[in-house]
Amino acid sequence: MSSDKGWIHTINRSALLTAAGTVFLFALAMFGTVIIPHSVEDGWVKPSSAYQRQMYEVADGAFYLSNRAVEDRGELQMVYHLKEGVNLLAFQESKTVRIIAPPELERYITRSGDKKLKLTSDLLLLQEPQGEWVQVAQELKKNLQTEDQGEKIDYQILQLYKPKGIEAFSRARGDGISEEWVDENFEILDKEVRQPYHADHGVIYVNNPVEYRISFLKLGGMQGWEYDPKGEAITDLEMLKAYPFEFLSRKELIRMGEDIYRVEGCWYCHTDQTRTLVQDVVMNGAAAEPAPPSTASEYIYQNVSFTGTRRIGPDISREGVKRPSREWHRGHFCTPRTESPGSIMPRFQHFFDDSPLETGPSPYKVPNHKFEAIYQYLMTKGTRITSPTEAWWLGKDPVNTKAIIDRYENE
Amino acid sequence: MLLSSLITLGGEYISFGRVRPSHVHSVGFLWLLSAGVSLIYYFVPRLCGISLALPKVAYASCALWWLGLVISTFSFPFGTNEGWEYAEVPMWVGYFSPKIIFTLAFILLAVSLLATVANRVHRQLYVSIWYAIGAILWTVLNAILGFFLIWYVPEGINRMNTNFFYVHNLVGLSFTPMGIAAAYYFIPKAANAPLYSHRLSMIGFWTIAFTYPWVGAHHIIHGPVAQWLQTVSIVFSISLIIPVWTVVFNLFATMKGHWDKFSESVALRFLLVGNLYYLLVTLQGTMQSLRNVNEITSKTDWIVGHAHMALLGAFSFFAIGGIYQMLPSLTGKKLWSQGLADLHFTLFAFGSIIFFGSLFIGGYLQGLQWAQWANGNNYLEFRHNLTIFPFLYTIGDMWFWWLLRAIGGVILLLGTLIFAINVFNTVMLPAREEEAIA
Repeated sequence: MSSDKGWIHTINRSALLTAAGTVFLFALAMFGTVIIPHSVEDGWVKPSSAYQRQMYEVADGAFYLSNRAVEDRGELQMVYHLKEGVNLLAFQESKTVRIIAPPELERYITRSGDKKLKLTSDLLLLQEPQGEWVQVAQELKKNLQTEDQGEKIDYQILQLYKPKGIEAFSRARGDGISEEWVDENFEILDKEVRQPYHADHGVIYVNNPVEYRISFLKLGGMQGWEYDPKGEAITDLEMLKAYPFEFLSRKELIRMGEDIYRVEGCWYCHTDQTRTLVQDVVMNGAAAEPAPPSTASEYIYQNVSFTGTRRIGPDISREGVKRPSREWHRGHFCTPRTESPGSIMPRFQHFFDDSPLETGPSPYKVPNHKFEAIYQYLMTKGTRITSPTEAWWLGKDPVNTKAIIDRYENE
Repeated sequence: MLLSSLITLGGEYISFGRVRPSHVHSVGFLWLLSAGVSLIYYFVPRLCGISLALPKVAYASCALWWLGLVISTFSFPFGTNEGWEYAEVPMWVGYFSPKIIFTLAFILLAVSLLATVANRVHRQLYVSIWYAIGAILWTVLNAILGFFLIWYVPEGINRMNTNFFYVHNLVGLSFTPMGIAAAYYFIPKAANAPLYSHRLSMIGFWTIAFTYPWVGAHHIIHGPVAQWLQTVSIVFSISLIIPVWTVVFNLFATMKGHWDKFSESVALRFLLVGNLYYLLVTLQGTMQSLRNVNEITSKTDWIVGHAHMALLGAFSFFAIGGIYQMLPSLTGKKLWSQGLADLHFTLFAFGSIIFFGSLFIGGYLQGLQWAQWANGNNYLEFRHNLTIFPFLYTIGDMWFWWLLRAIGGVILLLGTLIFAINVFNTVMLPAREEEAIA
């Protein structure tokens, strides 16, 4: 050493200063790269849209599904768990659906000439006409068919009624992934705003909720159950979730799917981010529209985020748009190579049970809850950034990716 | 070692995604962290001029260490993966908590070693002690952050950013200082030469302490984080050249006039080739952080090659060199077989070149193939590129490089087995007679 004095020399000999210095520099970097971004970057904690927030916070918890109905089919039974003052409902007539109601409930019905969709968070349900209403329904049907002049439309007449209690179960239809969404020409009939989301610019609602009833059936030697408008009513959530119905909410399934994605280590081969690169927005794009790059706000409803570091499987961040088919995923998880020849993905046969109809091992597998969970988790990818009316695959990408990447437009 | 040939194996417990974290943790924690710590236990008391303080605490740490890490590492196939890269260590395996036990083990280790430093006889701190102090404190802080505090960070990108901060600190503030501390201690020992410059080593230490923890976000360049944060990580990644160059130059300069030892000492060969790999891997890290390079290399097997060149090329070479140098003095016996040690080096030198080379070339080509989709002037043209050359083709084209990687992997595995036999026999077998005379 050239000199034995000076501050450099002091640090040089002091273990305490070395320790303090290393801790200080660590803390400084943590402050600069972890704490500061957290406090200045709004998008890291804010939802991307009212639709995204409502999907995760309202719709997912109200939607239940089960694939246990008739054990060998793997078909889905879907139910809404509706609560008074929470879920918005619409009772909307269409060409084939007509609604009859006592005078005090008339105001909730959106008739075909109405300009605005009427929504309410009062708990009301539709059902097959009962008691005195059977007659009314039959007369209405007869009148309508006379007006038809030979078109022979099979009208569905439903009776609007107020169920007892503050919760009810209605039959859900559709794909089980998306929800009804309205952002213009609607009114909420409630006297006051009963949920914060009712004040949003657009809202998720349940259209024409029909009471969910179940009846048991026997097929060959097998027990089963299925939806039946004349069957037994579901009385409470416990009954819905217990054997033999075994419904799970979409919220539970998405979280379970995230857990599966985590413990199976899917994230070592698949990334979950569309980067701000042309190749990424093209790879994840739809036929005519590029995918918008991933933003931080897409990840806020996840316990663990798997942006990933290696891509030897396709990126999943827009999977819900690229591959929405449940049947495709069912085949693909069971035997990936039959759906994607040349794939190196392992088979996930523990997402499936053997069909009870088969004796011995069979290639025909029935999905269990693990499959529904991972499927629901994947279907959230890219589908919830903005509402369906503002969807990027319709060309309404919030950052207008296409204009950015199309080179001739930029010159 | 290599799982890609087994990648398509079915079965719930042996799929690639379940086995990979066991591999990563075997290498990172069971081997590299343990080896790094054992070398620190060796040279810190010697440099301090006293025997280890609080040996009982150190023994307790050791017992908890293996209990926690072995259970943690081999629990992953059974579904205990916590989902944060390099921090997959489970909170619970039944009623046992590997996470708490391991952290406790490291804190006990820190207590024992820092107490040793505090009670030292030699007032002057040698470079290796600074790095050891840094490595110990950083690992404790980083483990507390990456294992526990991350769950209290808001969900989403905040957590992910915290994880990348942790990930790069584990490499940059645990493995790196442990490896460099060993290199600084063992290279002058093995070459029997004084360190070239004490002043240079000091610049290296404080610049690494300043720059390394800022680079975490370079794992997510072009990703869903703010551009300014990406830029910060790039700037600091570039400035990493300073600490790296000072260390590498200092160690090579120490060898000046002593290169004859290179062919004599297998320890020195491992340490110096490790030093060379350290230079290469960090220069590569700097290059990869540049946005235009990152566009091609990121998410490809190039990055896998980079990670292996760091943990296997640089730090495992440092640790192995340190162990070869340390063993005779610890056991009072010569190495069981000098010939096998030489063979080990040869296998590792060639195996690692094949292994890294195949991943770099394969990954680079993979990145270029993805970039082909961006050829053209508008979306329809881009999309057409993807239609005629879909993603799956870019995987199909990897088989040759993965085969080459497997060959490299087998050579490395062979070398590792030879190393294990040699170390085991050196420790367990009585000294041979002719060696006792020598």
